[in-house]
Amino acid sequence: MNALLAAQALLLAGAAACLLPMRNGWRAAVGLASQALAMVLVLAVALPVVFGGAPLEGALAWAYPVGTLKVRLDALGAFFLAWSLPMTLLGSVYAVGYLRRYFGSERHVGVHYALLNMTALSFVLVYTGDHALVFLLGWEIAALAAWLLVIWDYPNQKVRFAGFNYLVSTHIGLIFLVAAFMILYTHSGSWELESFGRWLHDNPGAERNLIFLLLLTSFGLKSAFFPFHSWLPRAHAAAPAHVSALMSGVIHKAGLYALVRFILLIGRPDEWMGWFLIGFSLLSAVIGALYTAGQRDLKRLLGYSSTENVGIAGIGLGVGCLGLAWGNPALTAVGFAGGLLHVLNHAFFKCQLFYAGGSVYQATHTVDMEKLGGLARLMPWTALAFVLGGVAMSALPPLNGFTSEFLIYSGLFNGQAIAAWAKVALAGTAAGLAFVGAVSALSITRAFGVVFLGAPRDTSVEKPQEVSRWMLAPTLLHAVGLVALGVAPALGLALVEGSASLALAGLPAGGAVDVHQPLRELSATLSRIGGISAALALGIAALWWLRSRLGGPQSSQHVTWGCGYTAPNTRMQYTGSSFSWDFSQRFRGVMVLLRRQHAPQGFFPKDAYLISDCVDAVERRLFSVINHGDESATDLSRRLKEDDPRLAFAAALAAIVLIAGLVVLSAGPLR
Amino acid sequence: MSVVILLAAHVLAVLLMPILMVGLVNRTKSWWGGRRGPKLSQSYWDLVRLLRKQPVFSSVTTPLFRAGAWVVLASSLLAAQIAPMFGALAPLQFSHDFIVFAYVLGLARIFLMLSAMDVGSSFEGMGTAREASFTAFIEPALFLLVGTAALGTAQTSFAGAIGQFQGSAAYPWLVVPAGVVLFVLLQAEAARVPVDDPLTHLELTMIHEVMVLDHSGPELAAMQYAAAVKMTMYAGLIAALLNPVDTMADPVLGVAMSVLLMAAVAVAVGCVESLVARLRMRLVPRYLMLATGLAAVSLGVAGWIAGGGA
Repeated sequence: MNALLAAQALLLAGAAACLLPMRNGWRAAVGLASQALAMVLVLAVALPVVFGGAPLEGALAWAYPVGTLKVRLDALGAFFLAWSLPMTLLGSVYAVGYLRRYFGSERHVGVHYALLNMTALSFVLVYTGDHALVFLLGWEIAALAAWLLVIWDYPNQKVRFAGFNYLVSTHIGLIFLVAAFMILYTHSGSWELESFGRWLHDNPGAERNLIFLLLLTSFGLKSAFFPFHSWLPRAHAAAPAHVSALMSGVIHKAGLYALVRFILLIGRPDEWMGWFLIGFSLLSAVIGALYTAGQRDLKRLLGYSSTENVGIAGIGLGVGCLGLAWGNPALTAVGFAGGLLHVLNHAFFKCQLFYAGGSVYQATHTVDMEKLGGLARLMPWTALAFVLGGVAMSALPPLNGFTSEFLIYSGLFNGQAIAAWAKVALAGTAAGLAFVGAVSALSITRAFGVVFLGAPRDTSVEKPQEVSRWMLAPTLLHAVGLVALGVAPALGLALVEGSASLALAGLPAGGAVDVHQPLRELSATLSRIGGISAALALGIAALWWLRSRLGGPQSSQHVTWGCGYTAPNTRMQYTGSSFSWDFSQRFRGVMVLLRRQHAPQGFFPKDAYLISDCVDAVERRLFSVINHGDESATDLSRRLKEDDPRLAFAAALAAIVLIAGLVVLSAGPLR
Repeated sequence: MSVVILLAAHVLAVLLMPILMVGLVNRTKSWWGGRRGPKLSQSYWDLVRLLRKQPVFSSVTTPLFRAGAWVVLASSLLAAQIAPMFGALAPLQFSHDFIVFAYVLGLARIFLMLSAMDVGSSFEGMGTAREASFTAFIEPALFLLVGTAALGTAQTSFAGAIGQFQGSAAYPWLVVPAGVVLFVLLQAEAARVPVDDPLTHLELTMIHEVMVLDHSGPELAAMQYAAAVKMTMYAGLIAALLNPVDTMADPVLGVAMSVLLMAAVAVAVGCVESLVARLRMRLVPRYLMLATGLAAVSLGVAGWIAGGGA
């Protein structure tokens, strides 16, 4: 408790110190040092809780309208803190390399570091607060800090627009959250999440369903589930790479944390909630994956893949939810463990991919795939990081993404005694997940193949060099995590076991059956998977070694076979757009594909071009509706006579009647 | 004892059958063409010849290109240890092993595709794009199929579900669709007609062949052998599905029967290849989606039967 408070004070003090007038380098150093120290303080108390220690509780007396602030750090919060803070610190280290060229300039880099500190602070608040207002405070700090971090490059109008778009979206989410909290407060008469939970647990029915939907909308907006993701591609493309990484991998995982927290508070959710969550998540996963296939901006692509991956994690959580509803320990354990493990794995590989993408931007000043190419030979470490992250993102062994998807699949193909139609539905979901896996393999092949392999496409792009160690070190540390969690997934499971146990504890104890048995089985299964992954990695290494040892004749080099064409140039390589065009065309219903072209004409054609892009359907629709609404309002006001007082009176009367009606209606049940 | 025999036979079959399968397909095709055709072991000598050759690498390639072929080979061999061939038994068998099977093959595929992208040729890019998008349409079929078999047998391992499917109530209804789905999976994964034509000489119409266009020497041998291993394991799956002999009771007869069935699959592949033309590229996804749809319907039927519908 004291350690948590000390960490918060330290983060605040560090943030304030970052703003002091001194050299930019010192500001960054102060920010990093305070963050590292706070991280150590928090982890010292959080890690024992993660590995099965007693939850940490404490209370702070506060002034009247707020009341006692209860702090509670249980296994779930501790799990999220255990990786959120170190990853934020790594992101801040990466920022040193990324913002290095501003260090000598007039630009105040301290603000950026202060905001990173505030982000870390928001994690401590959200993941430990047992008080709705503290939760909201942390939620809001995270949102505002993320917004200000996104608009680092604020002189650019596009960046400001992306930031504003994000700010509005996240506050729409806040409205839903506040609405749910207000309903819960009126019922429980307390701001404590625990008493929210008691009410939710005891009062199934329409109102609980409404609260569930409100919360799901809010958390969906936070974590960028489809169709609440429209802010995401812009924000991720506009922000500095480490901010995109932290937003996608770490900050917006708070939405999933809150989702799990409220499922645990509900205790025994209705069956439909599980199915709804699975359906909603599958939709996100499929649409997110489809959008990754069409993007030409590397960072937008990675952004959409967040939508895909929160969907995959959500499927796991939905399975856990079904397990709780059915009182089935095996399903509960595998669902929550799989979902949460995927959250962790996603944080690892997504941050790594964004860092690698940021390195590409730093070195070439563009993230437009169609201009890049052949970076692997110039930036080997960045390429290695990207391909490892990509393989993990496609959930392929032997890396970590596979382990959590394996758990989620095994939840979908469970051998439990459940209704046949439920099995059919779950197997269908698994088939959807298989589709998602194949599409993300397509996207990552396309992204890595076009950007890093082959030859450079555009001579106007600066010839890149490998980036500085400040940027490489965090990237490669994440890569180590990918491999470690891939070949030793029991390590990852150990981190989420405590949280899954929290869910299992909510189940009615069925006689002598040990509810924790399924977790031990999972651990055995995952160790086997880790063993196979390690064997696969070793097998590949052995084959390669054999090949180079017994290589036989020396190899020789030659140009790529041009299929008989004698004058190929690098512009003729397959582009990202052509790679995915055929595939995307088949999903025109959900994707908006733009194609503008000016074909060469005449005997001496001058300018000819072809531009194709894949824009967001939801955002387009959103803007067209807003535009449309705006126009109809204008039309309406034009048709009304401006100076007719009868209209104003009538409108006011209608409003009064409406409010009175609502008051009368609500008076009954609330009393 | 019979377990040991079966496992040994499985490992041997994974290593040797690919050569025989390719030989049988080619023999069938030359029979339809009125030629005598190559020896059944011809592909073995082809591999030996390739292994002795000096490889030529494209000057734009990275180490990934050199590693790619070996990743593909290692992954395919590992996957073949999970797929059942002789009844409800495989060397690597545990619950939900079919997920490992599918994703290890996924690893093989992504390295095949990345190796192809590595040479920076537009033709290879085109082949890769096709492979990547066609896979997306067929990938769900395997999971739907295993879901169907798992529903019928209450087994969660690949070998258990496929090998014991014969004992389930749904088997008489679903054996034909399941066999067809596996056959289409074989055609897609092993790059056979009507999805892909291994003999075409026009790069524009190739899928798998164009991806290995710049491979040569030992790397090409690894790629070709891996493709044959893939064909073998899907044929083995069909054999495990259809084999009427209880392999545990009578391992020798069971293995013989399975090998015969696999040979029959190879002949069937050869016949299709001789009698049917490759589909137009535009139509391939529909063909694959047909298989996926069939698998989905099978799953529904299996659920209906398991729910007490029939």
